[in-house]
Amino acid sequence: MTATDEELVARSVAGDSDSFNQLILRWERPIYALAYRQIGREDDARDVVQEAFLRAFRALPGFKGQAKFSSWLYRITLNLCRDWMRRERRAPFVQPPEGVDVDDLVSSEPSRAESVETMVTRKDLSRRVASAMLVLPDEQRSAILLKEYHGLTFQEIAELQGCPLSTVKTRLYQGLSVLRRELERRGQGPVRPEGSGQP
Amino acid sequence: MNETRLCGNPDLLMSYLYDEVDPRARRDFEAHLRTCEPCAREVADLRAVRGDLAAWTPPEAVLDFRIVRGAAPRARFAWLAVPELPAWAQFAAAALVAGIAVGISGLDVNYHPQTGLSVRAGWSKPASSVPGPVAAVKAAPVQAAAMPGAEAPWKADLAALREQLRTELQPTAAASTAAPASGQTRLVASLVPMSDAEFMSRVRPLLTASETRLQREMALRIGQVVRDMDTQRRADMARVADGIGVLEGRTGAAVATQREMMNYLMRVSQVQK
Repeated sequence: MTATDEELVARSVAGDSDSFNQLILRWERPIYALAYRQIGREDDARDVVQEAFLRAFRALPGFKGQAKFSSWLYRITLNLCRDWMRRERRAPFVQPPEGVDVDDLVSSEPSRAESVETMVTRKDLSRRVASAMLVLPDEQRSAILLKEYHGLTFQEIAELQGCPLSTVKTRLYQGLSVLRRELERRGQGPVRPEGSGQP
Repeated sequence: MNETRLCGNPDLLMSYLYDEVDPRARRDFEAHLRTCEPCAREVADLRAVRGDLAAWTPPEAVLDFRIVRGAAPRARFAWLAVPELPAWAQFAAAALVAGIAVGISGLDVNYHPQTGLSVRAGWSKPASSVPGPVAAVKAAPVQAAAMPGAEAPWKADLAALREQLRTELQPTAAASTAAPASGQTRLVASLVPMSDAEFMSRVRPLLTASETRLQREMALRIGQVVRDMDTQRRADMARVADGIGVLEGRTGAAVATQREMMNYLMRVSQVQK
């Protein structure tokens, strides 16, 4: 039976570093994805992940379980990303959207069923989304990342960002609205699915 | 719920869009969408944006973070270090070392009423010096065995010296019974000659105990070395296994991308034909 995060945290606090390594194995991918989408650089995102787990490990005795372990980890990661951006004095980095590099396509890992054309389209869309996310303020971008890619509830995001629930929803709404305009401005607006006028 | 609160309400719109709304509010909002085209269009647009967001995937990365407990770095020959010993054990060890040194150096202890106590190491003896009483007692049988029947010229001197020493020591030994607490008594008593067999019977248990102790200590050291080597071997094996796993993953990814490239090239070549 798989141990829960809380059980692994308790064992780690008791001195079992293997349990913390299990937590790392469980959460390193989501944390890396969050860091990469925040700062846009692979190597720096890896550094942030490493630092986040190190800080979590050191601060583990002080973690009383008021929030979920994952939320606590997300908070550490977002703080580190903010520090990184302040330190570097630059905005998140994304590749320029024009053109598609064949080498880059080769180095990516498409699913087996995905055709090359689909892969090209997806990569292009991925770049446009990444580029559009740049224009969002940090709070809106974080709210969208946590909601879209990590499935946190509004309440969890509110606790993580330290703001009221309604503020989180407003940030999400404004962020998505800006993204819609940006994607339209960049040549291809969001593709509205057929019959999507109805829920 | 009235139309004003349903229309242009970002709070409700987000709750509905992310399915965090209670069933009754959901029904009301869906009924509103059927009659309000701007709201329906906005919901559709925001859903489409969410669909686009799903296309944004981070690149694959090799993540292999591990927390390793910070064991204190060990000196290369730390296993040779003598562990912390209690005071009595240190004293016993010092006494043992001193005893061994005395044995090796062939220490010669003499007492004479005129000259007092004299201590001389075996390596400082002149080659032609007159042997002391204790050394003479031990050396005499060897010499006799080497030259049976031969009368060494120094034998008479040795016998005379032995008699003299015995005569001098007897009164002192008698006094020792009257004053057993004096330091001189203890010193003289220790100089009473003993036979080789008696000497060996006393020394042999000491040597045996020392040998046993050394063997036990050596076994402990060897056990520690074996444990260290085993731990290092396990760590190396784990590292090698991790490395092989990463290589296999990379190889699989490379094969997959090559296959994709081949498909792409074949498709392009077919289009050109």
